[in-house]
Amino acid sequence: MRLARLLAAKLVAGIVMIWVVASATFFLVLDMPGNPAQAQEAQDILHGMTPEQAQRATAAMFGFVPKQPLADQYGHYLWQLLHFDLGQSIAQEGTPVAHIVASAFPWTVVLALSGILVSFLLGVSLGVIAAVKRSGLLGDSLTLGGAVINGLPTFVIAILLFYLFTTIWALFPQGGNVSVVYDPGWNAGYIGSIVTHAVLPVIAYALATLGAWLLTTKSSVVSVLGDDFILAAELRGLRPLTVARYITRNAMLPLFTILAIALGLLFSGSVFIEDVFNYPGLGQLMISSITTKDFPVLDGAFLLIIVAVIVANTLADLAYPLIDPRIRRR
Amino acid sequence: MTGEADLATADALDRTGSGAAVAVRVQDLTVTFPTPDGPLPAVAGVSLSLVPGGITGLVGESGSGKSTLALTLLNAVPFPGHVAAGAVSVDGIGDVLALRRAELRRVRGAKLGYVFQASQNSLNPLKQVGKQLLDLGRSHGVRDRRALLRRARQLMDEMGMDAARVLASYQHELSGGMRQRVGIVFALVLNAHVLILDEPTTALDMLSQAAVLDIIRKVHREHHLTTLIISHDVGVIGDLADRMAVMYAGRIVEEGPTAAVLANPMHPYTRGLLTAMPRISGDIGAARPLPGRPPDLASIPRAGCVFRPRCPLATDGCAAAEPPDTVLLDRRFACYVTAGELA
Amino acid sequence: MTATTALTPEQLQRGLRRSRQRAARRWALLVNTPGRALSCLILAVFAALAIVGPYLYPANLPINPKNIYAPPSLAHLLGTDFEGADTLALIVTGARYVLFAAALAALITVVIGTAAGLAAGYYPGLAGSSIMRVTDFVLAIPGFPVLLVLATIWNFGSLWEMAVALGVFGWGGIARAVRAQTLSLRERGFVEAARGLGLPGGHIIRTEILPNVAPYIGMNLMLQLTGFIYIEVGLFFLGAVPYSTNNWGVMLNNAVFQANAVTSPRALAYLLSPLICILLITIALVTLANAVDEFFNPRLRRVR
Repeated sequence: MRLARLLAAKLVAGIVMIWVVASATFFLVLDMPGNPAQAQEAQDILHGMTPEQAQRATAAMFGFVPKQPLADQYGHYLWQLLHFDLGQSIAQEGTPVAHIVASAFPWTVVLALSGILVSFLLGVSLGVIAAVKRSGLLGDSLTLGGAVINGLPTFVIAILLFYLFTTIWALFPQGGNVSVVYDPGWNAGYIGSIVTHAVLPVIAYALATLGAWLLTTKSSVVSVLGDDFILAAELRGLRPLTVARYITRNAMLPLFTILAIALGLLFSGSVFIEDVFNYPGLGQLMISSITTKDFPVLDGAFLLIIVAVIVANTLADLAYPLIDPRIRRR
Repeated sequence: MTGEADLATADALDRTGSGAAVAVRVQDLTVTFPTPDGPLPAVAGVSLSLVPGGITGLVGESGSGKSTLALTLLNAVPFPGHVAAGAVSVDGIGDVLALRRAELRRVRGAKLGYVFQASQNSLNPLKQVGKQLLDLGRSHGVRDRRALLRRARQLMDEMGMDAARVLASYQHELSGGMRQRVGIVFALVLNAHVLILDEPTTALDMLSQAAVLDIIRKVHREHHLTTLIISHDVGVIGDLADRMAVMYAGRIVEEGPTAAVLANPMHPYTRGLLTAMPRISGDIGAARPLPGRPPDLASIPRAGCVFRPRCPLATDGCAAAEPPDTVLLDRRFACYVTAGELA
Repeated sequence: MTATTALTPEQLQRGLRRSRQRAARRWALLVNTPGRALSCLILAVFAALAIVGPYLYPANLPINPKNIYAPPSLAHLLGTDFEGADTLALIVTGARYVLFAAALAALITVVIGTAAGLAAGYYPGLAGSSIMRVTDFVLAIPGFPVLLVLATIWNFGSLWEMAVALGVFGWGGIARAVRAQTLSLRERGFVEAARGLGLPGGHIIRTEILPNVAPYIGMNLMLQLTGFIYIEVGLFFLGAVPYSTNNWGVMLNNAVFQANAVTSPRALAYLLSPLICILLITIALVTLANAVDEFFNPRLRRVR
């Protein structure tokens, strides 16, 4: 049952990481300029609340009460987290942060996942071609192109896309996630508008990770192609289709580890893409909350992003032994 | 030729011993590789006939071209090399080098069995051995899966392996010796009558080496194979082969019955090889290594005898052109000086 | 006569000449295609700009409020910005911050990452796996959101602070690569021999392992540079870090959010200039990273 122990260990590691990040965020908020919690409390008192009322109000807003012993604050904070309570927003008084973050979350995740899907399909296909044709111009250009896209900052891609396709050639709407003309709901106009507004951001997400897929696939395929067992398979007269399946299955392994990294890249990139395209997702939420100094919201968005990435990483870690028998029984 | 290997009949044929042994003839083979100085031959004008029904040994240092020669027998010269001239004729197949891709694929594995130099990694690490065996059968149109597995089990039993366990294992769960034996099973399971083993003992410890050599001998006898063993280890060749050939810098410099060649080597290189081997008994100081280093593609002399830079008997006459083969009864060698002495 | 092992003077000379030729052939890899030669040139030019640039212009660039967002002309080769200052001058002076901060951050990551990787690789077991846990953690966290949040409590706009902020979060990749290499080198013959001789670990790491790890560090370095340029320009672009001196990220921020250059065709040169600079540097670094890879990995060289 070594496999079960391995999986359990990875699960625990994931939980520990989330806990560490949550704690770090807690201490970060304490550190923020003017400790907004205290500032809020002081303001409440000025507005006529009694100290106890002010404390309770601040507790409701931030998830903890300043001036309580640190351990109490910390415990209170963690307890609320477990209940998915992220406190309340400063800028939008009274609105729970969890609500704000939850409404922004889908706009980021759906686009990011679509982007990953597109870039995976495209990147892996191009990577295989680059590997097979690696001694020629096609392979070289694909490799170089992939490497350049990989190294290119996401905002460069986003700006160029925006510029080219909304200003120079007005093919797509200039930002936003949906046109206000349509009523929200399952009608064609609304859905259609969402789609047209999503095309460019999805392309941006896709291009941001395309390079990683392409390069990893190419190097993985090249390495497998050079593996002894492929030559052995050919020398034993195996059918080309079977050999191709051998190659694919073996070359896919490293891509798994890339999946988690790609998600991390995407969330990092979402900040830029949503900023340029004015898309109401988590990235834009982070930026606007910095400008309005709405720290609970910043916290909440940040925490959600980190947790999503850690979860993705852990899932990938858990799935890997299931795919590679060599790891299973060590 | 049909795509289906009839294993039941093959089994029967094996036992009765009918079915003539297969002859394999390499004729004037040259394989070149592109280099910054132009295309250079890794195998140059090699002619070699394998003993039908017997074991032929090929000895050479690394870089002598022996592995390239082995791969060429299956028309699998690694890119970017290619066959510049020559033919490989096999009874019942014709010239392997002239086969079209589909026929070539059918011949490989089913008629010509190849056991890999690095059998340590010759299997797909992600699939069980048994499943890969079935893949092999399917690729060659074998419809009776049970007969295939039965034959595999029989071969494994002959080699002293626990067939059930091995078939269910992944490559990384098998020891080096077992992987080598599995390699042999895969080469013979489709009833090929020609077996080519490239450095079958190199990656193994001494005990496994001895075991594998015994197995090769036994399997060769039981299934009436025509076997070619390639090794840098003269001891291995001396132990198993009926006839042996010595390869240097892409050329065959000497060939003949093993016992005769080892007792009375004609070519200076062969003599040097044998002198370099320390014996278990006797004066260890008697062993003397060959001077110089094995040549690589670029440093082989372009004119004259290729062994001249390291040869203790070299004369000016050796510089002009490559020595022709001198045939002496059932032996041949290529050396001006020895030929001169015998004349 | 049997050959002796001593070399004659001619053989010695021939051998030296051949090894010099081989070395020259390998260095030529850096410039053997027009693409690579161009890449070296691009990097040299930008490096020169970074070092010399600010000296070519006065500390406060002349502004001309009557000439804002002018298109390219002879007087202003890349046009002007929102104050009328010359875009080319802005690019040249902005190069220093961008490139120096990236280079410093790369230096920091190399130092931390190599140390961590060597230690984790050479001492596997409790020490090694604890280091790897930390490394995995640092790698898993998406750097950008972290830096964003960090920017709210610590203004790391100055060059050194920026380099530290980037370096502290960016050493994961190098650590992992170095550890993998160290692990495999550790089992190699010459290292085992050294260990068998009882040589101290630190000595072995320095003399045997480090030189063999250097190529991977070199390659990683080039790619890390592109990443760092990305992050720092991005931080300024988003306005997360207030700026004290001009740099390319600031230019982009102005262009996109102040001047709305993405929605109108004017100020095109102002928008595109930093973008194209980043593009050129990225292409150059990537091409040379490939060349460095071939340099240390002769198997990758194609037979032409």
